[in-house]
Amino acid sequence: MADAELRNNDFSLSDDQETLRATFASFFERESPIDRVRSAEPLGFDEKLWQQLVSTGVPTMGLPPDRGGDGAGLVELALVAEQAGYRLAPVPLVPVVTAARLLARCGNATTEWLAAIAAGTRRVALAVHPARAGEAQLVPGGAVADGIVGFVENHLVLATRSEPASGPRNIGSEPLTWWDPGDPHESLLEVASGAPARASFDDACREWRLLSAATLVGMAQAALDLAVQYAKDRVAFGVPIGTFQAIAHPLVDVAGAVQGARHLAWKAAWLADHEPEQAPAEMEMAYLHSCRAAQQATAVGIHTQGGFGFTLESDMQLYFRRAKSAALLAGDPRARLAAIADHLYGPAQPELTGQR
Amino acid sequence: MDFAPLELSADTHAFWDEVRAFYSEHLTEEMLEKEHREGNGFIPSLQLAMGARGWVFPGFPVEEGGAGLDPLRASLVEYEMHRRVGPLLPLFGPIHLVAATVRVFGSDELKAHVLPGVARGEVLMAFGYTEPDAGSDAAAVKTRAVRDGSEWVITGQKMFTTGAQLCQYSMVTARTDPDAPKHRGLTMFLVPLDAEGVEVRGIETLGGERTNFVFYDGVRISDMYRLGDVGAGWQVASSSFAVEHHMPNGTGGLEPIVPRLNEFGWYGVLGALVDAAVEWAHAPRSDGSRPIDEPRVRDRLAEAALDRELMSVTPGPYVRVSTSAALIRDAADLLDMVGPTGVLPRGEEGAPVGGTLEWIHRFAQGTSIYGGTTDIQRNLIAEQLLGLPRHRGVLDRRS
Repeated sequence: MADAELRNNDFSLSDDQETLRATFASFFERESPIDRVRSAEPLGFDEKLWQQLVSTGVPTMGLPPDRGGDGAGLVELALVAEQAGYRLAPVPLVPVVTAARLLARCGNATTEWLAAIAAGTRRVALAVHPARAGEAQLVPGGAVADGIVGFVENHLVLATRSEPASGPRNIGSEPLTWWDPGDPHESLLEVASGAPARASFDDACREWRLLSAATLVGMAQAALDLAVQYAKDRVAFGVPIGTFQAIAHPLVDVAGAVQGARHLAWKAAWLADHEPEQAPAEMEMAYLHSCRAAQQATAVGIHTQGGFGFTLESDMQLYFRRAKSAALLAGDPRARLAAIADHLYGPAQPELTGQR
Repeated sequence: MDFAPLELSADTHAFWDEVRAFYSEHLTEEMLEKEHREGNGFIPSLQLAMGARGWVFPGFPVEEGGAGLDPLRASLVEYEMHRRVGPLLPLFGPIHLVAATVRVFGSDELKAHVLPGVARGEVLMAFGYTEPDAGSDAAAVKTRAVRDGSEWVITGQKMFTTGAQLCQYSMVTARTDPDAPKHRGLTMFLVPLDAEGVEVRGIETLGGERTNFVFYDGVRISDMYRLGDVGAGWQVASSSFAVEHHMPNGTGGLEPIVPRLNEFGWYGVLGALVDAAVEWAHAPRSDGSRPIDEPRVRDRLAEAALDRELMSVTPGPYVRVSTSAALIRDAADLLDMVGPTGVLPRGEEGAPVGGTLEWIHRFAQGTSIYGGTTDIQRNLIAEQLLGLPRHRGVLDRRS
């Protein structure tokens, strides 16, 4: 029997972290009320809200101090992302943060860009799948970005286009754009290449999934809170419907899934900040479980609200649509299972299996 | 927030080695094999050996029969045991909870009479709440206790008193006031099982654990064995339920004697399940191929590993509900993965991983039931943590 490694299992927040969380809970409560979310549809972007967020320093707080940031870690970014998710803030927080962090890791060629991002005059987004000329992919946040960071045939590039991007309509009201690095309107600035570039790109994509996980935790919590409130208020058969186990028990299961998702995201973020070589499996688990928890929370939420939950008048649909889109944009969430297995058990050796 | 590896002093490492050596000596393969066959829930010789070191209550002061260990060392004592026994010896937890209840609700006389023997490992104790007609509805107790001078006379029938065949005491709810409302007419007693009129009869279970009927036929016990006030039996029981269910409120001052980590107890069974499945997946077949290289196997192992990690991070009362569900789901799925030989139990030629997956698949079904069903726990969470209005079926508690 191999010795299991014993670790601390401490999920308490420091005073600073608690302050950060509370500050952004009230920031998004104040600045991203649900009518502002609705009026930002269908694009899913509110320029004024973005500028307010820029003035708080959040988009670049995760950059190292010598690149214009505060050196905040993924734990702190996850705390903020959860609050943005809770209020469905129509801003490309995760795309900008992850793309900017990636640029900051790749030399000085983009120093000017980082300064512009901090000033709120430019935005970047991360293309979360390896790219090839002639193959277009959907880039989250890309419709409102001035540059797209992607990995194109062994090179990490910052792509800018000569014509403004337009975004397709989509279920998540996400400012998506189609991006093809081979498009003649694109100019590509190479910022790194080879294996180190690929490793940095993979790290950035994991960060994108982790911060999306935190955002999904916020969405799931909000959907749960809406549903619980409805179950207390709505009376049927002479009693609040929350007295029925058929209503209450699925909500309890959602609450457990959300608590687990939040803790997985925190632990994954902590590992990424402190022991990055230990983090990848936890980060993939956090993303997969958050995708599932948010879809469960919003589907149970619609069902709890009954017919009202199925109308566009209910805010639940806003959460339901975004929960699904955040789970799709990085690819089939079940593909994360293969990644988890790779990290835990090493890569498959199909040549052995091929002998059968 | 901190998930760093524990930094252990040289002293603690030496202690850890001592713990491992202790179990190598006192918890042998032969004992575990016997436990697999009999499902007693305790190994008396192990309990005695632990008692001799103060490890039944490792964190208690030495003068109370403990070993005065810090929480980390106390956890190591339990951690190493659970690594060896998996789902076996499930009664180590209940004995702590009964002892904790005696400490809080028992008279000084009773504590002095009972607890030193428990600490020495000589005295074992069981839960005796459940009756044939009182399972999830734990207050629907029909067993009667009638006062006769300084004694009580107990008559009735309990079931699922697991461990009664080896225990000296059972913690029993009895109705002392049949005219009072259901939850107010109960009193808790610690009944000596060697008293005249007690009969223990075994019940076999799907998971292999033995449990029991216990019949009480005019059993006379001293008032010393009462726990808490007359008529306050439901409050005493609720305190122990709250600890058992990890509920944040209502423990009435009861605390777990050994710090609870989610990896311990039957939660750890999910880990044992995943470990067994991973071991199976890495063993080459006769043609040299390995299951671990097949996507269907990798996806399943990743799902189960995710559930295991979720178990270790999910807080408080939620973990029991979600872990039981995960255990039932994953045990079935991982047994499917193995294919036809999955039907072979431990001891049969060709049983994969010693039949562990097959066994845990059966064992898992009980985890959503014993200690109160997970449905009851969902009611508690809905009411106490989500703030939903009380379920109609328990409105009679207000009476």
